[in-house]
Amino acid sequence: MTILDVRGLSKRFGGLQALSDVTFAVPQGQIVGLIGPNGAGKTTFFSTLVGLIRPDSGTIKLSDSSIVGMKPHKVAALGMTKTFQNVALFAESSVLDNVLTAGLLRHDVTTAREQALICLERVGLRSVAHKLAGDLSFPERARVELARALCTGPKVLLLDEVMAALNPVEMQEIMDLIRSLRDDGLTLLVVEHHMRAIMTICDRILVLNFGKLLADGTAQQVANDPVVIEAYLGRSAEAHR
Amino acid sequence: MKKWFALAAVIAVAAVVPLLLNPTGYWIRVLTFTLLFAAMAQAWNLIGGLANQTSLGHAAFFGIGAYTSTILLLKFGISPWLGMFAAGALGGLAALVIAIPTLRLQGHYFALATLAFGEVMRVIANVWTPLTGGPGGLSVPFTPPSFAAYSFKQLLPHAYIALAALIIVTAIFEFIRRGAMGYRLRAIRENQAAAEVIGIDTTKVKLQTAVISGALMAMLGTLYAQVAVFFDPDTVFSAAAISIRVALIAILGGVGTAAGPILGALFIIPVEELMNDLFSAGAAGLSQLIFGAILIAVILWRPRGFITLWDSLRARFARGEARR
Repeated sequence: MTILDVRGLSKRFGGLQALSDVTFAVPQGQIVGLIGPNGAGKTTFFSTLVGLIRPDSGTIKLSDSSIVGMKPHKVAALGMTKTFQNVALFAESSVLDNVLTAGLLRHDVTTAREQALICLERVGLRSVAHKLAGDLSFPERARVELARALCTGPKVLLLDEVMAALNPVEMQEIMDLIRSLRDDGLTLLVVEHHMRAIMTICDRILVLNFGKLLADGTAQQVANDPVVIEAYLGRSAEAHR
Repeated sequence: MKKWFALAAVIAVAAVVPLLLNPTGYWIRVLTFTLLFAAMAQAWNLIGGLANQTSLGHAAFFGIGAYTSTILLLKFGISPWLGMFAAGALGGLAALVIAIPTLRLQGHYFALATLAFGEVMRVIANVWTPLTGGPGGLSVPFTPPSFAAYSFKQLLPHAYIALAALIIVTAIFEFIRRGAMGYRLRAIRENQAAAEVIGIDTTKVKLQTAVISGALMAMLGTLYAQVAVFFDPDTVFSAAAISIRVALIAILGGVGTAAGPILGALFIIPVEELMNDLFSAGAAGLSQLIFGAILIAVILWRPRGFITLWDSLRARFARGEARR
């Protein structure tokens, strides 16, 4: 069953074509990796999906609802939310309050608090629940982002570099978590620079370059695709001849 | 539990203080206005503190409240108690009308837009003479003293009504701050984009807050009209005497906290009166100059409000306990 269906999505910022005719569909329960060189349009793409950026053209369907032009809070209510690459926590609030606030989308304060503690447990941050979010280390804050997004009760979760700056043990924990979320029936889109992590957990990988979808396939297919290699490493000397 | 006892004690003390003052004297008047301004600053604190949108136009709602109840009383003989609710409805409506275009502005731009709105209301009240009496102002007509008619011979009942208003507005503030709306407002204040993405209708929450704040401010305008008995557009729609003063009271006391506006008003209103009392016989403007100097000194001393004084006292006390 297709849960997310994107067709012909384009967005231009002045002279920059940030997204150019992006089309793909995701069945429910997949982990989809999104890779591409810096500036390829990955974050713009996520922001467009959740409604922070309005596309110039194209359609986005979540389950059976068309969500183009909807405000982000409506998209969240329909079941899709994202984390922020540069971490956008409520820094002056406690870790628990950060996550609890997301729980208010579907619950009252008391239930939201219980839900928030469950989400914090899942990302392994229960012990720092009462610290100020701004006092945490960067990798911890990225995990609070994840817990907060999780607490909105999403069907589709867009993770923008939640593994940045993690050590190998922490990275393994997050990879296990992402898999367990998929096993719970969530659909996940993951932007990550760490290739080994992406190749390991993703069922499928999309490659974006200059706002265009370059490739779409399994880790194996994408890694061997000459177009992808060229985008990352440039053309070989042989090809120039 | 201890907190509730402390709260009950504070209210009990506040309830006794008016009885100790000369009922026909000057200080009961100062006390009444102190309580009223504390309540006004608390109403402002909803939008200015919880939503972090510094309004400099709250005189608009205040003046609407004063005029609504007084005009209803003058033209139709309606009790100001009922007029107060009409005032609240109109004040809330005005807040909605002004909030829709201005709430998308942030920081200085929001402050300037609301300042302009307050001034527009002042100009309208000055020129719409058939309704408002124009620059000449309105006198609240004398009715035989009774609670139902909101008319008293002395100031004492007014002091208690102002105290009750302060308690009610503070309770509303705390209820909102601690509830789901408080969480949503904090999220909006700290990161609006993130708040939207996790499902908060940021526009709706801000509009709701603005409407509650404006409605309460208008209702307090009615209380003011009943105490002051006479008012004109330049008083109730004053940018300096109302809009900026309520913001100043809340900021000086501790913006976004329930105690802040109360501490701020307890300082600003009596000190301002005292300066006028002591220095008004001297050179013109001397009392205002001294008052301004005191304000600057206090802001330099406690830039985040008097409330931080409490925090540092508590910290010192805790250290003393630990040493023992």
